[in-house]
Parts: sequence; structure tokens; C-alpha cells
Amino acid sequence: MNVASVLYQTTYGAIAAAGFGVLFNVGFRVLPWCAVSGAGALAVRSCCLEWGWNLEGASFAAALTVGAAVQLLRRYLDISDDVFEAIGCIPMVPGSFAAKAIIGLFALTTSAVVNETETLVTGAQYTLRVMFTTGAIGTGLVIPTLLLRMRAAR
Amino acid sequence: MKKSLCEWDQRPHPRPCSQIFSAIGTGQIQESGTIATRRSSMEEHFTPEPVQTSPKCTSEDRGSPPALEALAMVSLDAGRMLMEAGASARSVQGIVEMVARGLGAERVDLRIGYASMAITVRADETGLTRMCRVGDLGVNQRLIQQLWDLGGRVARHQLTAEQSRAELSRLASETPRHSRWVVALAVGMACAAFGRLLGVDWYGSGPVFLAATAGQFVRHELLRSHVNIFLCTAVVSFMSSVIGGLGARWAGSETFTNAMIASILLLVPGVPAVNAQSDILEGHPTLGSARAVTIAMTLIFIAAGLWVGKISLDQWR
Repeated sequence: MNVASVLYQTTYGAIAAAGFGVLFNVGFRVLPWCAVSGAGALAVRSCCLEWGWNLEGASFAAALTVGAAVQLLRRYLDISDDVFEAIGCIPMVPGSFAAKAIIGLFALTTSAVVNETETLVTGAQYTLRVMFTTGAIGTGLVIPTLLLRMRAAR
Repeated sequence: MKKSLCEWDQRPHPRPCSQIFSAIGTGQIQESGTIATRRSSMEEHFTPEPVQTSPKCTSEDRGSPPALEALAMVSLDAGRMLMEAGASARSVQGIVEMVARGLGAERVDLRIGYASMAITVRADETGLTRMCRVGDLGVNQRLIQQLWDLGGRVARHQLTAEQSRAELSRLASETPRHSRWVVALAVGMACAAFGRLLGVDWYGSGPVFLAATAGQFVRHELLRSHVNIFLCTAVVSFMSSVIGGLGARWAGSETFTNAMIASILLLVPGVPAVNAQSDILEGHPTLGSARAVTIAMTLIFIAAGLWVGKISLDQWR
């Protein structure tokens, strides 16, 4: 496993999560936990990618880990789970894929399209990756909550 | 919309739907959007009441106890504030139920929509329904946290309805926010970090930082001027991508296309995307679908701004 690559992803994931934490008006006291959450998510995702998983599977595992950690730590930290769950997974939201997918589809509508088939296939691939990755993140975050709710209902 | 909300409350109401919803456009929803029932005298619901000309209706107009009125309105206000602060449906449902039960409700039924909310509370054989409009949705995690704390205090019976209402007003006006410069610099830093994750080289990272910082500042000013949110998204996307792309090219970056994309990542609606997923999976498909449609529209406007920016830079070459 390439440890340097994992550390690289973790560091920049932490910075991105903390920066978006400020945008979402997280207090300075809680901001380090946002950075930890983002770093943890990208560390798990990077490890899974290093082990040969695809992006969707790795994002699912990372979101599942963040969701479970938040549910376990919530009672000790007394912080609403919306903060960690959402912000921790923000660095994994495939925004660049979404932009590339829509730009690819825009390109198909122009009068002089070069390599129509390749442009269409690439656009469709990006669109599907956005859908599956976002779905994987959302599902991974919700599963720990649903499991804990089932346990509480018994 | 009008019909479905009336159908949702299956019981016959003393007032026609048209009158209930006539107040939506006048901003009097909270006072006049009322459906009150009494189980003990169901027959009276089938007799139409005379239409009242005043848009304001007090709880005495319905014959519902004032305590139930205050309880419903405080709970609904807490839910509205949570929605506007970007909470998921699970959080909204949880806190509204905590508040309503803490103030004495025996049963709470909540309908959470993208643009409106309705609540039915029941206590002592009496039920009361209220609805309110939900404003623009943003993200304010500090407010969500404080509403969680308030919900906990109300659930422990530490606050009355009046005190809770005062506390909600205080939170709405006094919840601290980071200054716009701090936010803009933090967003610039976050986008530069995203850029590094996307493979932008060091020459391109500085321009990404500057482009995202400027983009966040302009977005803040445009939203403060009540510019349409989608228009604002397209304008900021165009501006940030051009600044990021031009700067990266000028600095000698070989990854200037990625730099353009990294510069507009501040616009990607990450929290609504996560909320839409969790809402659908947790049994709120209508709200989740509405969020998903809004996300899709936002992405289209982001891509449109980026596309025009890319064409402009290509022409400029």
C-alpha cells in the first residue's frame, strides 16, 4: 500500500472538510472534528482504492465508517450528527465528475461534434459514476443510523 | 398542492381549503392556515362556518385551547428553522417531536415538504393543525446545533411555550456567523485542497485559491441582493472558472482544465445531496426527490457557467 498517497489524500481531505465547515457555519470549537471526519473518510477511501476497490465501493466503505463513527461518538461529543456526517463526506462528493458529465452532454448539442460516440460514452460514464458514487455515500451514511434505530426500537 | 394538503388531513374541516390557502401569498399562513377539530362534536364539522373577512384568526376562532395553539406554532417554527438551516428530515422530525411532546402534546404528526411544513398536535381529546411556508434552504450547522440543544431543554420541561418562542427568536437573530472574509478565505483554501486531490499542480493551486475566494465573495454579495440562486450559481461558476483557468495558464500550469473545475467546486450542493439520499432512504421520498431535482438544476447551472467559461478561454487562446 502506498502510505504517502494515503497521507496526501488524508491531509487534503481534512483541509477541504474544514474549509467547507466554515462555509456551513460550524463553530471554531467543532471545526477540528470536521477535519478529522473528512480526513477519516478520505483515509478509508484511499486505502480501499489502494486495495483495488472501485471508486463507488471505496466511497461506500468510507461513508459507512464515518456514519458508524459519528453514531458511536455522538453521545460523548454532544454534537448533532448532521455536522460530521455531511461535512465528513463532502470531500468525496463527485462534483468534478458531475461537471465533466454535463459538459460532455452539452458538447454533444453543438453543431460541430468531434468523436460523437466517444463524447457520448464518456459523458454517460461520468453520469453513471456520479449517480452510483452519490448513492453509495448516502446509503453508507444512513445504514448505521437505521441499524441503531432498529436496536433502540427493540 | 392545495388539493393534496387538504386531502392529507382526512378529517372534514370547518373551513374550506380555498380560505385556508388564501393566506399563503399574504404571509399570514401561520395565523390563518388553520384546521381545528374536536372529536367530541364531529357533526359540527359538516356545517360550514360563515367566512371570516379578517385574515388573522386566533385560536379562539376555532375553539381550540390557546396552549395547543402556542405548542403547535413553537414546534412548527423550530422545524422551519431547521429546514432552512439544512437539517435532514430525520433531524427535523426528531427535534419537532421533542419540542411538541416537551410542551405537552400527546401525539405529533408532521408533514415535511420542500417549501412548506404542516403539523398536527393532539392533547386532551383536542387536535390542531398548522402549516407554514419554508423559506430558502441554506446550511447553518451552528443553528442546527443550538436547535438540538433547545429541543433537549424543552423535552426536559425546562422551558414553557412562551420561553421557547423567545429562545427561537433569539437564536434566529443572534446565532453567530463567520465573517464573509473568513468564509471566502476558507472556501478558497478548501477548493485549492480539492484541486490537489483532483491532480492540479502547484502552479494551478494559487489561482484556484484566488478564484474560489473571489467566487465565494461574489456569491455572498449576490445572494444578499436577492439575486435568483440559480442565476447566481451560473454567474459565479463562469467567473471562478475564468479566473482559475486564466490564472493557471498564466502561471504555467499544465492542469488548467482541472484548475477551472476545482475553482467552481464551492458551488456543488454537497449537503443537500447527502440529505436527499438520506431523506429518501428514511421514508421521505417527496422531500428527497424535491431536493434531488434542485441539486440537478444547480449542477446544470454550474456546468453552463463552466462551459461558457471554457469556450471563452478557448477563444482567447
